[in-house]
Amino acid sequence: MFEILRKILSQVSAHYADIRYEIRRDARIVFQGNELFHIGSNITDGYVVRVIKSGGFSSVAFTRHDDAEKAVHTAEENAGLMALHVQTPVVFAPAEVVKDTFLPLLHEDPRTVPIDEKLELMRQYNTFALRHDKIATTNIQYSEVVREKYFVNTEGTEIREDLITTSINGLITSKDGTLTQNVRVALGGSDGFASLRGQEDELGKRTAIAIDLLKAAPVAGGIYNVVLNQDLAGVFTHEAFGHFSEADLIEDSPSMREKMQIGARLGSDSVSIVDDPEIPGQLGFYRYDDEGVTAKRVVLMDHGILTGRLHSRRTAAAFGENLSGHCVAEDYRYAPMVRMGNIFIEPGGNSFGKLIETLGNGLYILDAKGGQTSGENFTFGAQYGYRVKDGTIREMIRDINISGNLYHTLKNITAAGDDLVLSKTGGCGKGQLNIRSCHGAPHLLVRDVVVGGK
Amino acid sequence: MKSGDKAEVYAVDIEGDGISFENARLKDIESRMQSGVSLRIIKDGLQGFAYTRNLRSREELIRNALDSLKGGVEGTFDFPLTKNLQSLDTYDPSIETLSNARMVEECSRVCDLLSQRTTGQINVSASRSVGSMRIMNSSGTDFSSKSSAYRFHTGLLYPYTSASLNRTWRVKTFQEVPDGYLNFLAETYTMSVREVIPGKKPLKVFFLPETVYVLMWRLQTAANGLSIHQNISPLAHKTGEKIFHESVSVYNDPLNDTIPGARAVDDEGTPCRLFPVVENGVLKNFYYDLYFAHKMNALPSGHGFKGSVTAKPVPSLLHLTMTPGSVSFADIVQSVDCGIIIAGALGAHSGNIPHGDFSIGISPALYIENGEITGNVKDVMISGNIYDTMQKVTAVENTLHPGSGGNFPALLIEDAHVTIRK
Repeated sequence: MFEILRKILSQVSAHYADIRYEIRRDARIVFQGNELFHIGSNITDGYVVRVIKSGGFSSVAFTRHDDAEKAVHTAEENAGLMALHVQTPVVFAPAEVVKDTFLPLLHEDPRTVPIDEKLELMRQYNTFALRHDKIATTNIQYSEVVREKYFVNTEGTEIREDLITTSINGLITSKDGTLTQNVRVALGGSDGFASLRGQEDELGKRTAIAIDLLKAAPVAGGIYNVVLNQDLAGVFTHEAFGHFSEADLIEDSPSMREKMQIGARLGSDSVSIVDDPEIPGQLGFYRYDDEGVTAKRVVLMDHGILTGRLHSRRTAAAFGENLSGHCVAEDYRYAPMVRMGNIFIEPGGNSFGKLIETLGNGLYILDAKGGQTSGENFTFGAQYGYRVKDGTIREMIRDINISGNLYHTLKNITAAGDDLVLSKTGGCGKGQLNIRSCHGAPHLLVRDVVVGGK
Repeated sequence: MKSGDKAEVYAVDIEGDGISFENARLKDIESRMQSGVSLRIIKDGLQGFAYTRNLRSREELIRNALDSLKGGVEGTFDFPLTKNLQSLDTYDPSIETLSNARMVEECSRVCDLLSQRTTGQINVSASRSVGSMRIMNSSGTDFSSKSSAYRFHTGLLYPYTSASLNRTWRVKTFQEVPDGYLNFLAETYTMSVREVIPGKKPLKVFFLPETVYVLMWRLQTAANGLSIHQNISPLAHKTGEKIFHESVSVYNDPLNDTIPGARAVDDEGTPCRLFPVVENGVLKNFYYDLYFAHKMNALPSGHGFKGSVTAKPVPSLLHLTMTPGSVSFADIVQSVDCGIIIAGALGAHSGNIPHGDFSIGISPALYIENGEITGNVKDVMISGNIYDTMQKVTAVENTLHPGSGGNFPALLIEDAHVTIRK
């Protein structure tokens, strides 16, 4: 394959070019209630070529090898057009030349597990949830994505890396009369099929929450002091701060670049944030990004002070900052963009009990149910929560959405727990879906959070 | 295939180019040339499905579909025989002459015009696409179509934020964006650029066409044949009942070929038609693909769409629209004593969607006072349930605009649960 890719690049007449080819192998099993809705394995593939020419930059995604010449010609033409219009020529930060094959260490390669066995496991988990008479239905999916990536550039880099991601996710829906509630299920990772076995307890917990939510009261909207659990705090880190640390999102915004200067105080002393794809065995692990740059641990915030950013080769040059290896694509259909790998708030020194005691009166909110950001504004949903009164956890609440401003909220984090947990599944939708976007945090105590509700 | 087997092949090809400007400067030019084929087979009451992008080996595709049969997915419906369809004008050949240079020119023109009238950061994008699809099945259907689309999007950013006022222009081939489009953006932005603190009066809520999708998403989920089959829809057994205000009519119109994306058949070859979901506030229909229509002993309604060649069809409403009202946007604003315009929504995908609940951050939230847009408000959330909210519609704009999932007017709501950090 490297020879084929080198041959395509040999047709390019440009300052720089790279090409990525991927074979993507999917396996999916979907249950909707008691019914098996889908089962199958499939293979798809494609290419993305990128060119820098005369200071312009362009990419072309194409499916057929026979379209390679046309794709190269289009990319050169587009780059030439861009060169006529850009005020500052596009430049890539220098990167070391790498020749490597990297295959991840797996605890039970999912490709060796027969699909019948996967189906039986899913059927067991699905039946486990459905046995309760208050559970109306499920929508649960097993997903296995194997990306076999080949990358070549005109600087001499040649990398083959496999990314293997398995997950079981979906919804368990409870019903009482006309009221329905649902709870997300999210299991999986990038270290093999073994992590999906023996998850009956987790399914049991999720089912119990779905049933309990039927009796919970909707939260009253207002401003609250809150404790966020690790999953929700991780999503907050991703949505409220993580996207801001992606250099391509602020690259062309003078006002945002002014606010996000290295050295600026953005958070309280309790907040230190890292993005580290190098940690083995977690969802967001990879060795090389989709520009052939080695992934690096980046300290984004150190006790409230902005200290780093996530970069592509283009943005690293534009900002005059170090490469970080954070330019990845969902798959062969897309050019890569700056993405978080594994972002988390570092643990503090407080036990969970101490945080609840310190909270006194407020809300304890758990488990993310989708989030979205628009620059410094974020909103995300919580699966469930509890009212806290006089430092004691009381009745369950539901229908909780939190909204806020990054700057206010980071400064309002008053304490971090000692119990960091990283997510098992990801789903960041920044134009493309990154299923390996990992996030994490310890429990967090936050003042003055806007909670939507009745 | 042996006698008694049924099969369906779906093939797509798409070519497209996209230009993006950030801060009124050219940022990216991207192109794509992508294709795919999927195969469904039905044999002995079971269904198999497989897909690929590069059809190098027909045998491998068939083998994957046959392997998937072994899983035991039920397949007891028939593929339709569809002939003599209404011809739709979905492709304008002049799109083939639209160059990336011309799109760059148009982006520059819009940026120049808006920068003369506003102070905000201007982000625009233009894209063109040409697609072809073909559906064949063992019942005898053989349908193919070609489509073209040109899309222009503008976002005006509020100072020191990424919150933006947005509007999209969608047509079948290149046209310069009209003055009305630019006037709306420039005037509304200028009136709302200042940050204000709202007063204490009760607030009306005004969904722009760009945010009506938040409400429509909940309706789509509840009226979906899948939700009806799973017995989780709050609308089950409510056809014929009034669920929204009588000024609200929502329907799916795939045959409207004045705009891009018109379809004569769905992705399973079932004919499409004008399909009322809600008429004058009354729930009229649920929508089905072949699979769920059979499950519910209903007629397929032409709503089986795939989303991607790698997905099986599911019930989908991809051509939603509403009956326009009788009042202009400006007149609606003038009628409001105190209100919030929802110009952007965060978190629409969270919350108990099947139940109709929503709780979203509003970004940007524009403020109306005494009939005028006077500024924007920070840290605003709105929560509700659409079956309550949509009963309180007091005005429907007289013009439709492209939004996510369809074409919608702006909607004024009498009251809603708004939370604001003061």
